[in-house]
Amino acid sequence: MGKAIKAGAKKKKTEITPYLFIAPQIILFIVFFLVPACMGIYAAFTRWNILSNELPTFVGLDNFKEIFLNTESTYYKFFRAGFKNTVTFVLLSVPFCIVLPLLMALAINKKPWGHKFFQSLFYMPTVLSISTVILIWYYMFNKNLGLINNLFHLKVNWVGAQPYAWFAIVIVTIWWTIGQNLVIYLAALNGVSQDLLEAAEVDGAGPARKFFNIMIPSIRNQLAYTFVLTTVAQFNIYGQPLMLTGGGPNNSTNVLLMVIRDLAFPSYGGNSISGLASAMALVMGSLMIVIALLQYRFIGERE
Amino acid sequence: MKKKIDYMKILAFVFCVILALVWIAPLTQSLSTSLKSEKEIKMSGFSYFPAEITFDSYKDLFSTKSASTPILKWFWNSLVTSSLFTVLVLIISSTSAFAYARMKFKGRDLLFSILMATMVFPSVINLIPTYKIVAGMHLLNTKWALVLPGVSGAFNIFLIKQFMMGIPKELDEAAKIDGASWFQIYLRIIVPLCAPVLIVVGMFAFTGSWNDFLWPTLVMSNVDKMTITPGMQILKGTYDVYPSHAMAGGIVSVIPTFVLFLFAQKYFIKGMQLQSAVKG
Repeated sequence: MGKAIKAGAKKKKTEITPYLFIAPQIILFIVFFLVPACMGIYAAFTRWNILSNELPTFVGLDNFKEIFLNTESTYYKFFRAGFKNTVTFVLLSVPFCIVLPLLMALAINKKPWGHKFFQSLFYMPTVLSISTVILIWYYMFNKNLGLINNLFHLKVNWVGAQPYAWFAIVIVTIWWTIGQNLVIYLAALNGVSQDLLEAAEVDGAGPARKFFNIMIPSIRNQLAYTFVLTTVAQFNIYGQPLMLTGGGPNNSTNVLLMVIRDLAFPSYGGNSISGLASAMALVMGSLMIVIALLQYRFIGERE
Repeated sequence: MKKKIDYMKILAFVFCVILALVWIAPLTQSLSTSLKSEKEIKMSGFSYFPAEITFDSYKDLFSTKSASTPILKWFWNSLVTSSLFTVLVLIISSTSAFAYARMKFKGRDLLFSILMATMVFPSVINLIPTYKIVAGMHLLNTKWALVLPGVSGAFNIFLIKQFMMGIPKELDEAAKIDGASWFQIYLRIIVPLCAPVLIVVGMFAFTGSWNDFLWPTLVMSNVDKMTITPGMQILKGTYDVYPSHAMAGGIVSVIPTFVLFLFAQKYFIKGMQLQSAVKG
């Protein structure tokens, strides 16, 4: 009898214990991820001022009509410009953020003198914050006092004129982020079969053929991963234009996340237009998911 | 044949050196500028090195004169916030990963798949509602507003779970025979064995929290409660025409993550590669 009770108690205990282990995470996950995710999707179909206590009013597809179809609306113009600027940045920066670290990885993989130091140095900026990075680079780009203009005897207005403003933003982004892709490629190149490379060499393959026919196919998975990760990360661009160019000149670097932020959290008081901002966020987020899936598929198919 | 390999090696070295100069220049230039006096910059313009080294800008920033940019307060706030965040992430994700990796329970695989599927969800959609929730809980301008929304991240659980699955199950069974509870197994056996992955997760949690930029600008309007990363934006505005002060602030703000990186770069790089290996 006593034994049976004990066994029963033990069984009950083992059943509840796993849930106690996962409970803290699940609770926080529901409150700070699941609920806001659902709210975010719903909010896109509402009119909502989150700085007030009003509940969101359901308005159907009005927000989407406003930003996609109402050519008279200022929000249409904001969205269009922000979208165009974000996509411009993605197209300008992603190729560099893939090709340059790949070249660097090839160089470091040759194990030149000091290669460990180079790897650490190139990776280091990724642990810095965007605001510190911009603070430092803003001064590098300073027209009169900056290192770049003085070193090359230029008089370029880097942050206040196009196309230099985009150059500046892309340069900073490269410096800040490519260490991540670099270390991923380095690990991948380490795994390339030495036997294959040597066999190719015996057959008379040059460095270019070895690179395109052996190395690239061997690191295809990591290339796909970094391609998706980099593209998605670049869609989230915010700090670089905010602090470097202020979205200028003439709003030409005012990216979508800045538009969304300004509409939902107006800096000089005013009404929060969170419903519209949520609609923009939903469009941006959906596009990011679609692009990630397409890229995986595209790269998977070439196998 | 051998000569050709050496030639490529030299080319690689030259390429690395040129890039290294580009990588170092912003850091040395900001350090050098922070050690100049504002007067020197105004009088003689650009120079690579200070004519006379002075710590005046640092002293000004640390003094009570700079009430609009209380950098030491920001630094302290960041240290508290990021440490708290790191500890919570480690506790919450390791207990959770322990259950998924080592225990059997109803709904385990379904729950875990749901968690994993949410990793692709773009955070931009959550941004506005999360603010509303945090505001509704009266957490604005508290460190909890910075800490709580990020601690339940699914990816950390995934990393730790993968590591825990590599530990032999016999250890749990042996401990159970000795009368150990699940909690004792977790704390005494599994956590110590998971130290490498916990260090990686902890370091990424700390630097991630330290470097958080957009979110703190939304939930922390009180300058004295601000953390240092959004603080740098205020600093940049305040000292726009005082480069030495601005650069001194920048140098101070990079110290913790930079030092962490110097001592633990191996883990950072391993962590990055681990992430690409499991996701790729």
